[in-house]
Amino acid sequence: MRDRSILGRGLTLLAAGLVFLFAAGPIVLAGLGSVIPDRALFGDGGLFDYGLVFDNYRYIFTGELPDAYLTEGANRAMISDAARQVPQSLLNSAIISLSAMVLNILLGAPAAFAFAQFRFRGKKASFMYLILSPLVPTVALVVPFFVIIDSLGLLGTRLAVILVHTARALPFTVLILSLFYRRIPAEIFEAARIDGASRWTRMVRIALPLALPSIGATGLFAFMLSYAEFLFAMVLSGDAGSRPLSVVMAALARNTDVSWSLLNTAIFIAVLPTLALVVLVWRFVVEGLLAGASKG
Amino acid sequence: MTREGGSGYPWLWVAPALLPVLVFTLYPVGQALWTSLHNVQLLFPMVTWAGTGNYERVIASDYFVTGLINSAKMVLVAAPSVVALGVLIALLLSRRFIGRGIVRAVILLPWALPGAITAVLWVWVFNPSWGVLNGLLRWLGLIDRSIPWLTDPALAFASVAVAHVWSQIPFAVVLVMAALATLPRELMEAATVDGATAGQRFVHVIFPQIRAIIVVLLVYNALVAFTTYDVVYAMTGGGPGTATSLLSFQIWRESFSMYDFGSGSAVAFIVVAISGLMIFAIVKALPSDLFADG
Repeated sequence: MRDRSILGRGLTLLAAGLVFLFAAGPIVLAGLGSVIPDRALFGDGGLFDYGLVFDNYRYIFTGELPDAYLTEGANRAMISDAARQVPQSLLNSAIISLSAMVLNILLGAPAAFAFAQFRFRGKKASFMYLILSPLVPTVALVVPFFVIIDSLGLLGTRLAVILVHTARALPFTVLILSLFYRRIPAEIFEAARIDGASRWTRMVRIALPLALPSIGATGLFAFMLSYAEFLFAMVLSGDAGSRPLSVVMAALARNTDVSWSLLNTAIFIAVLPTLALVVLVWRFVVEGLLAGASKG
Repeated sequence: MTREGGSGYPWLWVAPALLPVLVFTLYPVGQALWTSLHNVQLLFPMVTWAGTGNYERVIASDYFVTGLINSAKMVLVAAPSVVALGVLIALLLSRRFIGRGIVRAVILLPWALPGAITAVLWVWVFNPSWGVLNGLLRWLGLIDRSIPWLTDPALAFASVAVAHVWSQIPFAVVLVMAALATLPRELMEAATVDGATAGQRFVHVIFPQIRAIIVVLLVYNALVAFTTYDVVYAMTGGGPGTATSLLSFQIWRESFSMYDFGSGSAVAFIVVAISGLMIFAIVKALPSDLFADG
């Protein structure tokens, strides 16, 4: 798909620039908002009249109150302890989302392989059930989920959130992976079967290496679903020790006592790991997938 | 393509994924159905049979009609926008250009953000008094007066729709790119040699190959739009007035602010039923090999 004309290349670059602005623009704004004090933003003067202020970052990680909140009595209320929960909630989110991702691959990959490569009674019905199940609106399930988790004695733990996020992401994992598995030509498996390879061998030795980029991408999808999920996380997690980032951020976003720059600081901190993550994903997962595909 | 003969054995492969999903859908749905047919209110400990009473009360309310219309609008605006933009961006990112790696990476960003964060980011853009969009337009000299993005009903709906579409595009891009990557290179080269334009290549060569993934994306995005709540709620709270009140808010409102779990579950069930009809219609309408055997 190489386009040799100069006009074509120029248009491609222009479009790419627009896409970049569209995707990254709001996040750049949060970065700016985190270092521009509120008085510069809401005052009549220029945005950079007070310079770039990193006090909010220091406050979130060390609890040291920024000068702005100490000296200006009126702004004293514009700070909230909730922002101090960000570091711990980042750790909670990492634990929860990684666990959900690993569980999704372990539980979902064999099922996806079976749906794509085996024929058995009830396959279509169970597959349909699986992929239609996420349609049930999350809001409708919150109270019953609460009851299940409570009866298991897991309420207020990270494990509760991990279990529910795993179950909620599994249909997507199975659907996407089975689509990828289906692309593997049947002849490859046929040859292996004639050579006497068992189903398990065929999955582990043939399907897994071929589908590894897809499994990575799918696992990542489970990670993202979990990282961004809010409602179940809010209802099922407990105190700050198990609360993931989405819950802490939602509380901050709705807290009118929090200054705009502190809110943006929390947001930018929340975005940073994501930023690192998406770069890794492209480098190791998607590019690998694209390279693997173009070899054929 | 028949791959294997049947036996009871495949269920061992399927069970680890199927069982958790069964447990976490059948019980909650059964529980919600039961609740929707009873009078269950936090303030009244007595639970009594309600029959269709909750459903009748809910359907007759103004909130419900408004919510239904707004949610339908969201589906009609968001699902095609997400898929169309997703395909366009995926095609763009499949080309070679300087800085492609960076653009490819950042396109994933919106996907990974919780709804509350997405909402705050877009309030930054659309806020009428200090938002970036108005600032930019004023700086360019295009407007004298601030445009009330979040306080005018029609503009507010458009604004929350933009934020919603933004958050859903990356997933579409990744799936379409993955599908594009599996296209045989010879196919594309043959089409180029035959003198096909980019448009012709897409319609006749690329589109038929990625149709299945487009169907999946349309279905998925219709449902996401129909049941979304967090971004929109955090941006406008459903306002101004009821301009951005979605049907999903109604479930929440009845259950957790009115503490009427019976009515809340009734709305939930109506949403489930409409979602079911939607996916059924789309799956039936489009000739898809998605659910076929191999």
